[in-house]
Amino acid sequence: MAIKIPTLPEQLPTTQPRFVGKEIKRVEDPGLVAGTAAFIDNLSLPGMLHCAILRSPHPHARVVKVDVRAAEALPGVFAVLTGEDVRRWANPAYTAPEGWGGYCIAVDKVRFVGEPVAAVAAVSRYVAEDALELIEVEYDVLKPVPTPAVAMAADAPILFEERGGNVIQSRVYNWGDVDRVFAEADHVVGNTFRWNRVGANPTETFGCICQWDTVDNALTCYGSYGTPRFWAMGRAMALNLPTNKVKVIPQPQGGAFGGKGGPRGTDIAALLSRKAGGRPVKYIEDRMEYLLAGFGQSWDRHYDAALAVKADGTVTGFRVRLIDDQGAGAEGWGTISVAKPLAAFTGSYRIEAARYDTVLVATNRAPTGPYRGYGPPPHFLVLESLMDMAARKLDMDPAELRRRNYIRPDQFPYTIPSGNEYDSGNYEAVLDKVLAMSDYRGLRESQARGRADGRLIGIGVVSTVEPGVFDWNAYATVGVQGIGVPEGAKVAFDMLGNLTVVVGFNLQGQGQFTVAAQVAADYWGLDVCAVKVASASTDIAPPSFGQGGSRLGVAITGAVLGACEKLKAVFCQVVAHLMQTTPEQVELMDGRLRLKANPQVGMSVAEVAGTMLGRSDLLPPGMEPSPEATFVWTAEGRTMPDDQGRCRSYLTGANATHVVMVEIDRDTGRTDILKYFIVDDCGTRLNLANVEGQLQGALAQGVGAALYEEYVYNDEGQPLVTTFVDYLIPTIHEVPMATKDFIITPSPVAPLGAKGCGEGAIHTTPAAVLCAINDALAPLGVEITETPASPHRLWKVLRQVAER
Amino acid sequence: MTTKQRICITVNGVRHEREVEPRLTLVDFLRHELYLGGTHVGCEHGICGVCTVLIDGRSARSCLALAVQADGCDVTTVEGLRDGATAQLHPIQQAFVEAHGLQCGFCTPGFMMTTLELLTENADPSDDEIKEALGGNLCRCTGYESIIASVRLAARRLREQQGA
Amino acid sequence: MKPASFDYHAPPTLAEAVELMARLHEEGVDAKILAGGQSLMPMLAMRVARPEVLVDLGKIKSLDYIREESGAIAIGAMTSKRAAEASALIERQQPLFHAATKLVGHRQIRNRGSVGGSFAHADPASEYPAVALVLDIVFKAVGPEGERTIPAGDFFVTYMTTSLESTEVLTEVRLPVLPAGTGWAIQEFARRNGDLALAGVATTLKLAAGVCADVRLAAFGVNATAVRLTGAEEFLRGKRPDRAVLAQAAAMAANDLDEPMSCVHASADYRRHLIRVLAERCLLEAAARAI
Repeated sequence: MAIKIPTLPEQLPTTQPRFVGKEIKRVEDPGLVAGTAAFIDNLSLPGMLHCAILRSPHPHARVVKVDVRAAEALPGVFAVLTGEDVRRWANPAYTAPEGWGGYCIAVDKVRFVGEPVAAVAAVSRYVAEDALELIEVEYDVLKPVPTPAVAMAADAPILFEERGGNVIQSRVYNWGDVDRVFAEADHVVGNTFRWNRVGANPTETFGCICQWDTVDNALTCYGSYGTPRFWAMGRAMALNLPTNKVKVIPQPQGGAFGGKGGPRGTDIAALLSRKAGGRPVKYIEDRMEYLLAGFGQSWDRHYDAALAVKADGTVTGFRVRLIDDQGAGAEGWGTISVAKPLAAFTGSYRIEAARYDTVLVATNRAPTGPYRGYGPPPHFLVLESLMDMAARKLDMDPAELRRRNYIRPDQFPYTIPSGNEYDSGNYEAVLDKVLAMSDYRGLRESQARGRADGRLIGIGVVSTVEPGVFDWNAYATVGVQGIGVPEGAKVAFDMLGNLTVVVGFNLQGQGQFTVAAQVAADYWGLDVCAVKVASASTDIAPPSFGQGGSRLGVAITGAVLGACEKLKAVFCQVVAHLMQTTPEQVELMDGRLRLKANPQVGMSVAEVAGTMLGRSDLLPPGMEPSPEATFVWTAEGRTMPDDQGRCRSYLTGANATHVVMVEIDRDTGRTDILKYFIVDDCGTRLNLANVEGQLQGALAQGVGAALYEEYVYNDEGQPLVTTFVDYLIPTIHEVPMATKDFIITPSPVAPLGAKGCGEGAIHTTPAAVLCAINDALAPLGVEITETPASPHRLWKVLRQVAER
Repeated sequence: MTTKQRICITVNGVRHEREVEPRLTLVDFLRHELYLGGTHVGCEHGICGVCTVLIDGRSARSCLALAVQADGCDVTTVEGLRDGATAQLHPIQQAFVEAHGLQCGFCTPGFMMTTLELLTENADPSDDEIKEALGGNLCRCTGYESIIASVRLAARRLREQQGA
Repeated sequence: MKPASFDYHAPPTLAEAVELMARLHEEGVDAKILAGGQSLMPMLAMRVARPEVLVDLGKIKSLDYIREESGAIAIGAMTSKRAAEASALIERQQPLFHAATKLVGHRQIRNRGSVGGSFAHADPASEYPAVALVLDIVFKAVGPEGERTIPAGDFFVTYMTTSLESTEVLTEVRLPVLPAGTGWAIQEFARRNGDLALAGVATTLKLAAGVCADVRLAAFGVNATAVRLTGAEEFLRGKRPDRAVLAQAAAMAANDLDEPMSCVHASADYRRHLIRVLAERCLLEAAARAI
């Protein structure tokens, strides 16, 4: 039975939606503000032990000997895990491409500072850390590979000897006749860019409690897991268990932003539990562990890129060479971040041809992982910076250059050279709105006055597209398999007509429980607070992926609506049977199943549910007495990638234009953000406050990447940023409070017309801030193409002027 | 081995006597001895402010205090905000819900405890005063805008309540 | 990140604290004084500090006071920075110290952190030591031999090291009242609001007949301790504090610095440059305040 999912809020069975598209209080908040939410470290199981992990101080070394006898003898210690146990019981991490992962505890060699070499389970974390100090490890230190340049040198030390080299993947994509458009260009605008490592740093680090069932040989993991089924499958593969013997119970999470790793932590806690005879073992990653090795590092990139531009400002070609420092292998799935830009390679523009020349390199830095945006944010920094450089070359206003090249509203659905199809948009309307809102002309005038006074004031106008609702096929180019990302929900009424929506994930901050409740409440005419949203563990949840890829808001809407539609069909049959008519004569409206011909006649949803569960004698013959339905949603129309990686991957394309004004202190190199404006279009806004919160939050992270945050390594591969003293998360003082507005161009293909928007402003903000900085510097004839544009870096740039 | 110390700490109006190791941090004491899990742990080195509680009415990072140091002190945690009799949310909690001052909610107890101190000493803070007060609390979700709005709303509610 | 084991004592009186420190020292026990703990606690959690015994001064109520005494402001070592910040006396009589206090960390840190603790910790990036050098703050310490006073110039030895004996307890910080008409300023450069300074400058500037009579200038965040910039001070003596002269003094101050430290946020060169910029801004601000 094909289920038709409403593509606009007006199609919901309600006279007027009360919750969808409105600003409403979130259903998850009371427990969070009361302090009763069950974050993983609030959980405690009988007999539970606590894990601490001994980590490598060396970026690259052979592990010669690990002596744990003294640690084992310490009172309160119940198990010590080493590489020997792991070699026997576990497998190296599965990676894409395959073969670039380590074991959860180093076997034979360590490849980054912070890699686990042993672990302890003890009565408390305090005692466990005491025990770590008693473990003696003998290392044979190897020459480190601190950078891609060293990694690719002919005589480089090799991280994964069995791979024969340090290049994980080297691949060139050609979309269209790139050489021709560059040859025919009036101008070729090129530059190199360096995006230094940043990362997610949610306020809660990763944590889990693992219990090995030594009778059934099964594993249960409670934890801060955002994608529970994915984790369960990974643990089964790593720990040699059947997938149905791993149960993952996701707890509410204190943020994630992609960067909440923990496969190693989970596997270590699981094996410690196994070694401790099945006692549950809790592992809470501490902040220094997170900063060192917690999959909180992303995007370590060296770019060389260029645009082909015609004299009239038409951009015809975009070529990018990317050397991506993946760190010590691919265990963190950082490879995907190189593949994802294919989903929006040419941004908001009609660019005829493009080339993407990628080299993914292993070094002795920490493995990279996902972070909000998962790849495009640095890519857009490059594209948008080049757009500004082209505008300067042509002496055009950067906003007008963008306008000239936008995909036009009548061109959607629009297929970009790298293969993805954008669903809808009106980029020019977004631009017009933000230019008006910011009084762009006024800003330029005020900039001119400031310049006349010798001030370094700059304005950035940047447009990007946010690929929303990911599909696995977007990552096929680095070896990820599959098409379709199922997300399921069960909608169930009880005997008294109360509704529960069962989902396969838990809270992470974006408000998807509220979205599920809003949609279900409007569908059935209920109050949003009357809908219970319940998170199920992986053994009983419907197929689910969970948070990731700006997807879940859309996907869970589709899942809930699909389940509602299925159940409505059943309810119509019941009512039709009771009223001696046909289901086609019955409709749902405002919480009642009623006769289309005589709307006064009908039954409430609760009455129907109660009848189904309590009076089976009244049901149509053969009908199950089950007022519940499950629907598993995935985006339709996703396609197999061709030999150049081209496919329909991400379902939706939200877009935004930011206008930002900055001032650089000529003396210190410090950048202040003076004004910030955002207009975006993510189609139907299911929940206004949720969307605005995602925008402002992603803006803060974008400001962090542009100006503050950086994981620094020295020439020996030693990490120098290991505390929050040095990893500079923007505080309330550093984040601009943006003036925001939006337009709505509904997605024709997504449930209720909503586009993925969870990653949002991080796609745009780093580029916008850097473009503004370079606009400020332009009169001096200098530029900065490295992030973060820290005061120290800008001072060095400004010194070039002074020294001339 | 070190000697355990007997301490007596009043938390949210309730006296608790325990024997603890001197090295036990106040936040671990609150969370794992008293099972008051609302005070979270973010960095354990005094930067993020997630673990903020009030010690004798003053906001403090509970990761930077030992439980033994708080012997004899009055500690207020997020669990102490709600009305003990009715379990109603405190106006500050209510304001954070209404003005969307949280997303994941992990840093929120720390923000609310700092806010409680701020509004106790300044019933009508300006935005700059709010920022100054909350500068030591990191939030990775919201970008702070809605937090400022929440504090403003809470201040208004509390003023109205006191005026009423 | 959990501290290693230690024993803990919280003597209720200064005399008992001093006696305890002496006894522990005699027994060869590695004992450390715990004041507000805002710097020590992270070091304990990371296990870079691992004393066998902590002696907490937190119960000694007699070390918590701010009072005016014969032309000086006496601050008990265990007085919180918050109390110093809230003190109208300090704000009025010693505005430089007051301004420096407000620059320390965030409110949660100032609530717990003690005034004495910051001096004893002697972090080169801290505002207080530089202010101590500029103001000639005098420290009182009590040890087994009794009480002694230490002028700021003799107090800071090197990186996180003072001239306090390991058995001595810092008990009081004495600030001179800022003479009326004296200009003052403190400016620092940090990556984020509230962060430790990458570089900072504190100054006082006294005029007589329109020329600089006495200028005190100190830098922090650049060398192993806060440093007086005496070359610039001398240079300014007797000169009219116009923009060009102050700029020249600032350049001199920066040039005179020993090679600054370097970290992920700022190289030695950059720190030296920042001192020039901050010294100039500070001197201008102080000169504008001076009468």
